[in-house]
Amino acid sequence: MDKKLAHYRLSEAEYDKICELLGRPPRGLEWALFSALWSEHCSYKSSRRHLKKFYSQSQRVLESFGENAGVIDLGEGERLAFKMESHNHPSYIEPYQGAATGVGGILRDIFTMGARPIALADFLCFGEPNKGPMNHLVDGVVRGISGYGNCVGVPTVTGQTEFHPSYQGNILVNAMAVGLFSPGDPVVTSKAQGPGNVVVYVGAKTGRDGVHGASMASESFAEDSASKRPTVQIGDPFYEKLLIESCLEVIGKGLVVAIQDMGAAGLTSSSFEMAAKGAVGLRLFLDRVPLRDSSITPEEILLSESQERMLLIATPDNLPDLKEVFWRWGLEAEVIGEVTEGKEVELFWGLEKLVSIDPLLLTENAPNYDRPYEVWRDKNRLGSPAEVVAQVQELGQAHMARPSEGANSVLAELEALLASVEGCSRQWIYQQYDQRVGARTMVDASGPVAALRLADSERALGVTLGLRPYLMRFDARQGAMDAVAFPALELAAKGFQPLAMTDCLNFGNPEKPEIMGEFVASIEAMSEICKELDVPVISGNVSFYNETQGVNITSTPTTGLVGLRKNLRGIPKDSFVNSGDQIYLLHSPMLLCTGQWGEMKGSGRVAQGHGEIHPGQVSELLKILLKLSHHSEVTATRMVGKMGLAYSLARMAVERPDGELGAQVSLEPLGSEIRKAYGTEQTSELISSSLLFHETLYQVLLTTSEQVGPEIMMQEFAELLNACGLSLESSNLKLVHLGQVQAERMIISDQSLLLEAKVGELKKLWQEGWRKHFATMA
Amino acid sequence: MSARVGVVRFLGTNCDRDLWQAAEGAGLKPEWLWYEDNFEPMDYAALLIPGGFSYGDYLRCGALAARTPVMKSVRKAAQQGVPILGICNGFQVLCEAELLPGALLPNQSGRFVDAWVELKLENSKDSWASGRPGSSVYLPVAHGDGRYHINEEGLKAIEDRGQIWWRYSKNPNGSVADIAGVSDPSGKVVGLMPHPERAVAEWMGGQDGLQFFKEIS
Repeated sequence: MDKKLAHYRLSEAEYDKICELLGRPPRGLEWALFSALWSEHCSYKSSRRHLKKFYSQSQRVLESFGENAGVIDLGEGERLAFKMESHNHPSYIEPYQGAATGVGGILRDIFTMGARPIALADFLCFGEPNKGPMNHLVDGVVRGISGYGNCVGVPTVTGQTEFHPSYQGNILVNAMAVGLFSPGDPVVTSKAQGPGNVVVYVGAKTGRDGVHGASMASESFAEDSASKRPTVQIGDPFYEKLLIESCLEVIGKGLVVAIQDMGAAGLTSSSFEMAAKGAVGLRLFLDRVPLRDSSITPEEILLSESQERMLLIATPDNLPDLKEVFWRWGLEAEVIGEVTEGKEVELFWGLEKLVSIDPLLLTENAPNYDRPYEVWRDKNRLGSPAEVVAQVQELGQAHMARPSEGANSVLAELEALLASVEGCSRQWIYQQYDQRVGARTMVDASGPVAALRLADSERALGVTLGLRPYLMRFDARQGAMDAVAFPALELAAKGFQPLAMTDCLNFGNPEKPEIMGEFVASIEAMSEICKELDVPVISGNVSFYNETQGVNITSTPTTGLVGLRKNLRGIPKDSFVNSGDQIYLLHSPMLLCTGQWGEMKGSGRVAQGHGEIHPGQVSELLKILLKLSHHSEVTATRMVGKMGLAYSLARMAVERPDGELGAQVSLEPLGSEIRKAYGTEQTSELISSSLLFHETLYQVLLTTSEQVGPEIMMQEFAELLNACGLSLESSNLKLVHLGQVQAERMIISDQSLLLEAKVGELKKLWQEGWRKHFATMA
Repeated sequence: MSARVGVVRFLGTNCDRDLWQAAEGAGLKPEWLWYEDNFEPMDYAALLIPGGFSYGDYLRCGALAARTPVMKSVRKAAQQGVPILGICNGFQVLCEAELLPGALLPNQSGRFVDAWVELKLENSKDSWASGRPGSSVYLPVAHGDGRYHINEEGLKAIEDRGQIWWRYSKNPNGSVADIAGVSDPSGKVVGLMPHPERAVAEWMGGQDGLQFFKEIS
């Protein structure tokens, strides 16, 4: 019996519950059904009670959790479906197919609802370059995304790539897909309806690949992960493309009652969920399922995760038209069953009834655990801002890069950051993705926010990802709050009103109270700020057991946000635009920390900080940013992110595609602002060098045309604040003039010169950094 | 009256709608031609063969599409002098159908490349972009198999006959002689690796692609 429980990955308590629900021990195929649908992956048994806390109610939400993806109303007839999902374990075992099928799976969740997929985004976390199989994994994952996304014709428009040793044995591959319903396009659900209607199977034939995939994804990795290779699915993007076009056509023609893709736990989860949602019965004939190989057993048919397969419900009258459409796209639609009056799902092989079971036993009655968790307490906090500054100073003195002759250590440090694997250009990745197919891309993956044109309303859609793992290691509550705040502010800085969010909650073993504590704190923090910013969470995914041989990953609740801009013109650029433009810093200090730089210099010690993110203050900053980003004289905007102010200024210089623009910047006014804000008595010099690399959440760099000098700008800023019901005196928001854009050189000074560099040289380091770290890859 | 142009779709083609949108924007009247269709060539002022992974690029890029029923009519159109433009995968299809010389091989880097590139016009073609030789345009490329290949003898022949249409200013894929686009000897059938349909408005990052659709009438 223990062996059987282990094989089906069920606990003894779960077995007892099954016996209680059935009134007898499970038999035959029931074992496989409970194993699949009660897996963590399908049942969300450790997370369900906490996911309910998410802020998900908002007028613009049309569909939310429970469907394949959430749907929001964009007004003017357009609606948007989007969702994010993980494919971590398969990608570690077989990076190309793991990543490719991750993309395929998330796309099916979108077009299943009737939305045309218009964008993809990927959040990737890897271990250390050149260590173990890491380069092979980076290469395989990027090729997998490229191979699948490019072929199906959906552009990959943005992404984020992180490196940290905690992902060495368990990389993360999270893919987000966005789909558009044009005015008039129907939204379909997965609710089976209408006794007498037929159940239709469309797509690739069923093979043995991916059998037990869902339960594999619900386990920690031991040493023998390579032996799990047979449970990884193989993707066929050409088939997926045919499914996209044919499914959108049958949905558009009104030939479909309900539709669901066969994802995790394949036919089992799609059929049982469709029946449960519609509160109807289903009669399925497993012997009619198209097979690749006639020796496949009924259990394998039920659990196979072969890719590119859909299950549809249609009326018998529409069947000929439905079949005709699929046939034209080179696909066969097979009737494999029917909707029944009863409440049971009945599985047949020919005339033999294999199983008859109420789907609610497998779905609604799945375990719902209240795992023990540690109550959240602030972590890694220092007593005062002055202590943060002192620590930055200390780290700088001990570990700052050694200057070459004629340079200084501040410059050497900035150069090292630009060339570091954390800070170098990701162009090598993005140029392998088609970023423009679909002819909607306005801003591609070169910027922090991708922009897509909505043709029907001549408005722009913004898409961006969030979460900074080093902030999660610092303090999970703050890191999770930042996972919403930072991308929301990035959208606002480009003039996009944030509308809604999806997430992919990647965590370690939920049976460990400290991991569960981070999980609960993250959800609560995200929900709190989502509510304040009115950014409902409309879809998402939980990936637990990201643990290999006892090592848990950094808790990584990644986010994907979308925003809407009312016009196409005038989106502020990410990099410097004109020589002479004025440079300002919008400064709204809440949390001061040593940041990613502090962690990189800290010899294993995570970042330290003081303060916390205040949702209300983020909301104020967001409102001001939305106004500023529509100001006709604002030319560029950029959130100050990882590694602080100097790095962000440098990125504004090096990212400019043509010509070389730098800046002349003085930190003196900022230094005095900081002294005031934090009440520190540090000398100016001490403050300045720390200002360059530490992080103040939140700061935004913006440039205006030359004629908007400090006096005019301050006046306008005061008026903007007033328009938002704030004032210069009462608000924590400060606007500081830093300097001007200039040709070729980057100069940062305080009372004395801190740094002087040629932009061309910085650019070279930033662009060539990747190749340096991954020299073994072509 | 706006000119009718046929946009050929194979199973798996994915730049079809983009090309349709660009053609419409240029004042043309696009019509779909399905891979199984037979059509009357003279009904169309031009034929456009879009980019994007027909038949998943299985076997060889464009090889399966080149053997579909619709290509019989496309061949007839070429014989009758109907202008034909193949973009990216469409270029690969025309080479596989031997309506254009040479072949497109995997990029030298072994990787897909998405980038904006500058092209220089080598020989102007009356039916297509008719700028002056030496003039340049800025267009996006997006391909895994864009390395133009032709043997030495063939290269000399197409050079002598003025069949080289565009060259890259900076070669993104290892194409022989920096070739980005070629024509048949008549100059009516042309193939281009970059995507003009992705550069027809300022919001896209440029509108140099418009001129590729302006000459059709």
